[in-house]
Amino acid sequence: MSPIVQGILTIIIGVGGCIGYFYASNILLDRVIFPPKTDDQGRNIRRATMVRPWLFLLPAILALGLYLVYPVVGSFLRSLYNRSGEEFVGLGNYVQMFSEHGFRVALFNNFLWVVFVPAGATFFGLLVAQLTDRLKWGNIAKSLIFMPMAISFVGASLIWKFVYAADPDIGIINAIRDYFGAAPVDPMQIPFWNNFFIMFIMVWMQTGFAMVILSAALRGIPEETIEAAIIDGANPFQIFFRIKVPQIAGTIVVVWTTITFLTLKVFDIVYTMTGGNFDTEILPSYMMDYMFRDDGRATAVAFVIMVIVTPVMIWNIRQARREL
Amino acid sequence: MKRTFLNGVAVMALTAGTAQAQMMFTPGEGGFHWDGYEAFAENYDLSGETVEITGPWTGFEKEKVDVVFSYFEEATGATVNYSGSDSFEQDIVISARAGTAPNLAVFPQPGLAADMASQGFLTPMPEGMGDWVAENFAAGDSWVDLATYEGPDGEEDLYGMFFRVDLKSLVWYSPIAFDEMGYEIPETMEELKELTQQIVDDGGTPWCIGLGSGAATGWPATDWVEEMMLRTQEPSVYDQWVDNEIPFDDPAVVGAIEEFGWFALNDDFVQGGTQAVATTDFRDSPNGLFAVPPECYMHRQASFIPAFFPDEVELGADADFFYFPAIEENDLGSPVLGAGTLFSITNPSEATSAMLEFLKLPIAHELWMAQDGFLTAHAGVNLDVYATDAQRAMGEIIANATTFRYDASDLMPAEIGAGAFWSGMVDYVTGESAEDVAAGIQARWDSIK
Amino acid sequence: MDNIAGKKSGLSIVTNLSVLALVVLWLIPTIGLLVSSFRDREQISETGWWLALFPVEQAVRITPEMGDVTQEGDLYVVSGNVFGADGSGSVAAFGITSRAPGAAEAGQTYGRLKLEVLDEDGEPDTENYETAWPVDGTPEIPETDEDGRAVQGYTIDRALTMQPNGDYVWRQASEPRRAPALYVVSTQPPDFGLQNYETILTSNNMDQAFINTLTVTIPATVIPILIAAFAAYALAWMEFPGRGWLVAIVVGLLVVPLQLALVPMLTLHNKIGIGQSFVGIWLAHTGFGLPLAVYILRNYMVGLPRDIIESAKVDGATDFQVFTRIVLPLSFPALASFAIFQFLWTWNDLLVAKVFLPSNSESWVMTVKIADDLLGSRGGDWGILAAAAFVSIAVPLLVFFAMQKYLVRGLLAGSVK
Repeated sequence: MSPIVQGILTIIIGVGGCIGYFYASNILLDRVIFPPKTDDQGRNIRRATMVRPWLFLLPAILALGLYLVYPVVGSFLRSLYNRSGEEFVGLGNYVQMFSEHGFRVALFNNFLWVVFVPAGATFFGLLVAQLTDRLKWGNIAKSLIFMPMAISFVGASLIWKFVYAADPDIGIINAIRDYFGAAPVDPMQIPFWNNFFIMFIMVWMQTGFAMVILSAALRGIPEETIEAAIIDGANPFQIFFRIKVPQIAGTIVVVWTTITFLTLKVFDIVYTMTGGNFDTEILPSYMMDYMFRDDGRATAVAFVIMVIVTPVMIWNIRQARREL
Repeated sequence: MKRTFLNGVAVMALTAGTAQAQMMFTPGEGGFHWDGYEAFAENYDLSGETVEITGPWTGFEKEKVDVVFSYFEEATGATVNYSGSDSFEQDIVISARAGTAPNLAVFPQPGLAADMASQGFLTPMPEGMGDWVAENFAAGDSWVDLATYEGPDGEEDLYGMFFRVDLKSLVWYSPIAFDEMGYEIPETMEELKELTQQIVDDGGTPWCIGLGSGAATGWPATDWVEEMMLRTQEPSVYDQWVDNEIPFDDPAVVGAIEEFGWFALNDDFVQGGTQAVATTDFRDSPNGLFAVPPECYMHRQASFIPAFFPDEVELGADADFFYFPAIEENDLGSPVLGAGTLFSITNPSEATSAMLEFLKLPIAHELWMAQDGFLTAHAGVNLDVYATDAQRAMGEIIANATTFRYDASDLMPAEIGAGAFWSGMVDYVTGESAEDVAAGIQARWDSIK
Repeated sequence: MDNIAGKKSGLSIVTNLSVLALVVLWLIPTIGLLVSSFRDREQISETGWWLALFPVEQAVRITPEMGDVTQEGDLYVVSGNVFGADGSGSVAAFGITSRAPGAAEAGQTYGRLKLEVLDEDGEPDTENYETAWPVDGTPEIPETDEDGRAVQGYTIDRALTMQPNGDYVWRQASEPRRAPALYVVSTQPPDFGLQNYETILTSNNMDQAFINTLTVTIPATVIPILIAAFAAYALAWMEFPGRGWLVAIVVGLLVVPLQLALVPMLTLHNKIGIGQSFVGIWLAHTGFGLPLAVYILRNYMVGLPRDIIESAKVDGATDFQVFTRIVLPLSFPALASFAIFQFLWTWNDLLVAKVFLPSNSESWVMTVKIADDLLGSRGGDWGILAAAAFVSIAVPLLVFFAMQKYLVRGLLAGSVK
């Protein structure tokens, strides 16, 4: 039971500490450092107003800096050293890595993932969003398709083992093959295509996400535009592709990029489905092979992922700057 | 990780009774070597002295080893404090660095002991221990070599004494199925291969092989390759392989991998075909032996595997094992693959030396043998003491061994033995050539040197 | 008009059907898991979960208690009932070897005969021949054996008579040393139950893993919300230089792969003495969750009506008061949605837990427990695996269905404006 007590204690300390920090620092600022009751009241209030945002921001800046900004630098520096961290090897880890078959396979597979997972999830998401738009039981359907979102990648992998298992009494695919008299195959061992079987698990999980957002976007399209199109004699497909899709293009891009960077972080599915065997390794799972063993190599892989993400990141920042 | 886990399981599997009180065996009774014990008791009076021991045995195993130590206490008057830890590997390093090491440490594998010896944390075994082990253990020289390491000065010395052995070279089968088909236990690898073919001719599937083990997928195949190394090469070549003195892609190693391939890469020989080998879970694979109709007739696996047999399977009646035979034509004797735990001195004292003397007595081994879950290489023990027939039969295999070799993947650097070797074997059973796989593993080994 | 209406209904049938197909496709895997988690191990390996409601034909070996052995001519006879003295069941087929466990139908005798044949050089030889025959009849034997040798006669080596109710008579030529192995194919009713859940919840440290998951999840959800709420308020409603850049940086950090943080942060944790511990994983989850939290909350807070906040300020309220009394309550939907997000994320996380928690069984969270232990130690025990998976996804599913509304709202706040 001690973990429970410990957990409760830390919640109290952590939460209390947070509240305490914000409350106390504000009081300190208003009453002690810049008390508004002295001669230069106006200047003090102005000063306090200048300082206060930083009080509000300090914990967030600390946490973000420590856990996300510093690691970018820290990881890069670490990746320049050898496995024990004692010897400077420059770009040695990268050179070594790129010369290895395993890494190139992981890089290639990752490329497949980045192309097909967001595409698949967005496609299915859009499809469901459009189809359920005017359906009576649309909300129930959406809620069921949204459900995998709540499941862990580990849980999802287990769930899909009941589809992919080579034993025709466990896996549905092989049960169907068996019914038609075909010999069982192990989908996880079919070269190249096994990647797509694993990717589909991710698509299965992310479709709900795409669907929710795209369906909101579809609802946001002004009725008049569509009515006008109907009067002009457009068929449902034309309405969908010529009118609706262009209207929500911006949202589609947001969904696409969100799923893209999520895809770049996921290692659990490959880890539980194949353990990276059968040439299904992707960069995050490849990195875990080296984690705790060769930190130089592990950080080098992480940095490669960072480099791949950077264009998305820059695009995101520009988008945000434009909106401000 | 893999090893400690399997040890634990082995004990669970073979433990029939529950924990019992100390001094459970009355001196003078049973098949034990009490005379040596009594002579030992007369030689030592260590009242007031204490021996501190740490090791990896916890739970049931701790209770059993405590029984062994209680007889030492009884004989000498000294006190033994044994503490077991699941994170023994970290704990012993920390306490040695901090200068708070116990008197004796029980290492679950030689690698860590060698490492600590080179840093000067271990004291060499007393004079004469090496000769004694060589003479009194089955395949004694093997055990001496496994515990001989370089000290901090680069000088080689004996740093450990093996107490408790795990056995890998076993083939499990169903006596009923063998009976019904009229199959005989093969005595040589040649016969084993004939039997394999015979089963196919009779319309059956001879082997169940499963390499699946989550993130450790592939390790059961490393055992196969190690067995084949011992059956196709001199023990010295095996040692060179372990130390990477011959490259991993040496023809000797490639040949051993291909010997394994003879069994695993033939769709007719393995349950589900070769494709199933890589993904079938190793815990699941022996179940084919007990299916009706049988999905396979033989399964090569270490002594712990009965823990994963279906509940209703009774050892001896429904399942039994035989020695994974040697290749007659190679004339390499009866090699045995296994693992074991060793005692090393981390902080010498008079009582510590006495404890090591005590561990040399057959009685120290017999006391745990009789409680089950313990195999020994000590040649002087009375095999009748073993708690079960299965244990006795395994004890005999060890006693008859001409060569004993330690699980190579446990001796190799973790990145190879618990990484590249595993995944390499998966690549091999899924179609890559033995040469390519071996070259890949060697490349990985080169990169960590 | 009729024409158009007809088209419309045709289209709507297609729509309905395709949605139905998609929903089924999306649900099937999960249903497979759920059904399997209630099934008995033997039955899972016998038939697929989609046949779970049907009886299972299972072949089993039965070694009955060795009763009295009587003699009947040259043959030794053992008899009894395969289901035991007070058991019951129904035998569909039976056999005498495990290779052909259902060789004969119940109500017959099945046995191995030794055919007496003459060799080419006239030497007598015997050969095994297995066949079934009526209980009160005699076996039919072929005139020649496989090699074309004439059959002279036969003896019974072993024979088993089995009635549908399980009564059997076993005859064999040699004196039996141990109970014979009988093979019976019988029909078992579907076996559903909670055994798998019992196994999972009572043993295997799963309860510990459940508590650990909670211990990780709750603080890792609450702390980042608090920190983010203050930061989001500052970024939304306070004027200070560099605000725009800070927002942009937060947006940029949304994308930083947390893989980068693993090695440097673990090293740092070890250096400052946190090591692999719950505190470490709380801090890590806080750091990794913050960008999204700040982003969602700021987007929401910016949209709050400006006049309420400004009139409060005019009335002399400090920023702290405005925040706690006005903004925080108004932002409840966004807070709730992020809380659900962070909860799901930390509950379902495997990577951070593997790195920032010690790798011993006392500290395993459920995902690690399943991925590293159960998938290993219970690799083939699908029932147990399924039950474990369901235990681990039950809480997030509950939270998900209960709070779906907020989750959707939060998603929309974060992505669409």
